[in-house]
Order: sequence, then C-alpha cells, then structure tokens
Amino acid sequence: MDIKVLKRLEKLNQLQLTEEQETAFLEFWAKQAKEADAMSEIDTENVERMVHVMPIMTVVREDKVIKNFTRDELQQSAPETNDGYWQVPRLVE
Amino acid sequence: MKYETVIGLEVHVELATESKIFCSCSAKFGGEQNDHVCPACCGMPGMLPIVNKKVVDLGMTAGMMLNCDINRTTTFDKKSYYYPDLPNAYQTTQWFAPVAVNGTVEIETSKGKKSVRIKQIHMEEDAGKLVHDDWTDTTLVDFNRTSVPLIEIVSQPDLSSAEEVIAYLERLRSLLRFAKVSDCRMEQGSMRCDVNLSVRPEGSDKLGVRTEMKNMNSLTAITRAIEYEVARHIDAIENGTEELVQETRRWDDVKGKSYAMRNKETAGDYRYFPDPNVMPVVIDDEWFDSIKASLPEFPEIKRARYIDELGLGEYDANLLVESRAFCDCFEGAYAVCKNAKEAANYLISDIMNLLNKKQMTVDMLTLDGKSLGELINLVTEGKVSRPNAKKILAVMFDEGVNPAEYAEKEGFIVSNDTGKIEEVIAAAIASDPKAVADFKGGKEKALMALFGKCMKELKGNCDPQTLREMLIDAVNKQ
Repeated sequence: MDIKVLKRLEKLNQLQLTEEQETAFLEFWAKQAKEADAMSEIDTENVERMVHVMPIMTVVREDKVIKNFTRDELQQSAPETNDGYWQVPRLVE
Repeated sequence: MKYETVIGLEVHVELATESKIFCSCSAKFGGEQNDHVCPACCGMPGMLPIVNKKVVDLGMTAGMMLNCDINRTTTFDKKSYYYPDLPNAYQTTQWFAPVAVNGTVEIETSKGKKSVRIKQIHMEEDAGKLVHDDWTDTTLVDFNRTSVPLIEIVSQPDLSSAEEVIAYLERLRSLLRFAKVSDCRMEQGSMRCDVNLSVRPEGSDKLGVRTEMKNMNSLTAITRAIEYEVARHIDAIENGTEELVQETRRWDDVKGKSYAMRNKETAGDYRYFPDPNVMPVVIDDEWFDSIKASLPEFPEIKRARYIDELGLGEYDANLLVESRAFCDCFEGAYAVCKNAKEAANYLISDIMNLLNKKQMTVDMLTLDGKSLGELINLVTEGKVSRPNAKKILAVMFDEGVNPAEYAEKEGFIVSNDTGKIEEVIAAAIASDPKAVADFKGGKEKALMALFGKCMKELKGNCDPQTLREMLIDAVNKQ
C-alpha cells in the first residue's frame, strides 16, 4: 500500500487522517502486509473455501412479527430527532 | 453503421414476508415513520442478526422458478455503504455464495423466443428512507424499510432492446407472483430495476462503455429510458457529442432525460467481506425438497390445461392465469362444481367488478374457491336465482360466509312451495283490483304490476315462468 491507495481508502471510508496518522498507518500496514504475504505461499489448491471460522451453521427464526420497542424508547439515545425521524446532517447526492 | 444494444438487468424484488430479514419487526409497506423498528434494524451496537427462514424459502423458490442451481450452503456478506439509511454502515447481502446461481428465463417478443441467462439471485436487506428537509436543512431518516427482505436477480447481458427488457420483466413478475415470492408492484417499489446498457457496432465482440440507470420503477419509464440512452450512446460514438464514461445515471421521466449521478464504484470499492455475525445457512435435503414440492404449475402450463382439458376459451384462460389468486379460486370452484365456464364467468365478471369497486388488485382476492363452487351449484340446481346469487357473492367476498347457509338464513332459497306462492298471488290480486280488471280488459301490461309485487314479496326466490303461469291462471279465475 502506498499513499495513493490510502488516500483512496480514506475517501471510500469517509475518513480524514492527519499526515502523522497516514505515516503511522503506512508503517503499520507494511508490517501487516508482510505477514499476510507469507500466507499466500501456502498451497490452497483443492482446498474448499472456509465459510466461517466456526464449524457451525445458522439457526433460522419463523416469519413472525414481534414488536418489542417503541419509537420513543429507541430515540432516547438519538442526538437529534424531528417529528419521529432521526435527524442527521444534510446529505448531498 | 448499424449498432446493437447490450443490456443486463439487476431486478430488486421485495419478498412477501411478514417480518424483516434479520429481526422480527414488521416488513409491511408504509406505516408511521420509525414504527417498524428495533435495536437490530436501527443499528444499535451489539445487536445480532437472526435469519428469517421464510426469506431463504422464498429465495430458493425464486431460484427454482428461474431454473437456477441452489447453493446448499449459502452465506451472507457485508457490503460497505456509508449512508444513514443503513445505520450499520454496511448492507448485509450475499456476494461469495448467493442462494441461487446459473438460471434461465424464457421470453417471447415479436422477434421470437429467447433464453435469458440468470447470473445469480442473492438475498439482502433493503435500505431505509431519507427525507431531505429544506426548512431545517437536514436529512430525516425513517428506518421502517431498513432490513426489509429483498432478492436481487442479476441477469447476464443477454437483452438487446426495450421490448426484450419489458418481456423479461413481465415474465419475472408473472413467475414470482405465481410462486408467491412477491407481489411485484412496481408502483409501490416492491419490484425495481437497474438497467446496465452499452452499445457496440453490430457483429463486434467487444463491449462498449456501460452506463447504469438505477431504481427504475415503471415499464413505460424503462422503455423511454432505454430508447433515450441508446440514442445518446450512438450519438456520442458517431458524432463525438460527448465522451462516454462508465457511470451511474438517473432517469428523469418528466423531462425525458438521463443525468450522471456519481462515478460508478466497482465491485472492489464495496469491499465485500464475509459477515461473521451470520453463520452459514445450510439447506438440507428435507428443506430443499419441501420447497421443490411447493412450486406451482407454470402459468403457461395452466393456461394450456384450462383450454385443452377444461374447455375454456383462450380469452378466459389468459385472464385467469394473470394471477395465482384467480387460478387458485378457479381451481377450487371447479373441483366442487365441475363447471369451468360458470366458474370462469363469475371470476372474470362479477368478482373482477367487486375487486375494482373496492380498488383491490387480483392478488388481494381471498375468496375461497370451494365456496364459489358451492354457490355455482346452488344456481345451476335452480335453488338460488342468478340475481340473488350476485347478492350472496358480494357478502361472500366481504365476509367469507358459506353460501348455502347464508342463502337459507336470508331467505334466498327458491321456493317450490306452491301454497306460499298462491297466498302471495291472492294477496296481490286483492290489493290491486284495477290491475286485474285492466288485464282482463286486454291490457297485457297490467300483469307486470302484479308480477312485480309477487316477486318482491317472494324476495325473488321463485322461478319466474312458474309464477307467471300461476298468476295468469289466478287472475283469469277472478
């Protein structure tokens, strides 16, 4: 990863890093990438894709409506609400 | 130079479930803002998703209706997404092992038959609704639709005209409605479509620059948008009016123009990765077989059977197979009365009128076919008159009453009790001596007044011919 890729990731993740943070991240990443690269040396030919780290499968629930919360309860932690809506800074499409 | 158009579609279909895909909130359309919401679907920290079985049922059903292979171990992935209508900052969808892959859909247009390949069908959650409030210059968020279950049906770029696209969408809608996967109502957004389109010189094997138009929700708008885009692409290629770039565009149906939205993010930009919070869904043989066994007969097979075996006309058969609800009601009625023509007539005229009057769509029909069959039997056996059958049907339609019991209770059973008819005639004659005299004096019309009076008194439950004969007889004896 170089600064160009990092800048792009910042944009995609809607983050603004300072120059120091960027330098620190690139140093950190260089180490991580080395370890990750080591893994690519392993021969994975004919190895089935691992779908989950745990050898378990999901439980499913029946299609039934249960109402446990009211809007007012849920919006107690909201920084701002307006007429039953969560209110957030204006988005520009 | 001649050009050909290459179109692939991504069709989003909201599934016919009661609850959301990963929580038990209602998935119903509309409602007060943020009324169908819980900590899971509004993205509170620490909440875990639990998969709704019906979503997998319907995903599999759709896959089987479109001749797909079903992934017996199907997994969910996170798709990075930073808008407040999905409060987790990702959409839970399927990328690595979608529920169904490699299908086909047969379509027919004026150019003949064609097979459209389906790349995949994946299950995912819908996003919420954003309202931009000019007064406060903020954005308001409604999470009611957040996490409502969807499937996305991705076709290969096998379509080459607006006509084919419409045929494909209509075919999808018909199959999915038949299998009760979705009501596919474009006007309510339960079926919407992204159109990927490019243009290339005829015979070329290299694809042109592709543009995507998102969230199209009417067939006429789709047709107009495709025609506009094709013309725009050809104009750009031939006359260099603009440089074509790969991008997402918005169709403005009022202005009849498309506009660039944002640079198309490639798949890598969404940075899909397996969702560690949802374990793999493993579809065992029992589950798979139960879905396979529940698949309906395809509409065109039904149509052929209605015409060939039950003797319906093509027009009637076509109208019936428009909707699974109609077919179910028709088949239920036929099983009881063995009279296909009568059953079809009641559905196509009387029941259609009742639906229209109440502004309901055919899929909202809940009338039990068996009851309709019983009503038809009452009519054909002469126990209920046709005008009264209509009245009974209206009540059956609203309240689901049993026709025989209701007819009995309301006095709609045709009377064979000649004593009662004689009584009614005698009373009518006594009450109107002028009509009697007029009739005897040669005024044939005078009898109608007496006839009407008797019929009213008998609530229409009398064979008109019998009544007429008995009445003339009685008047002449005066």
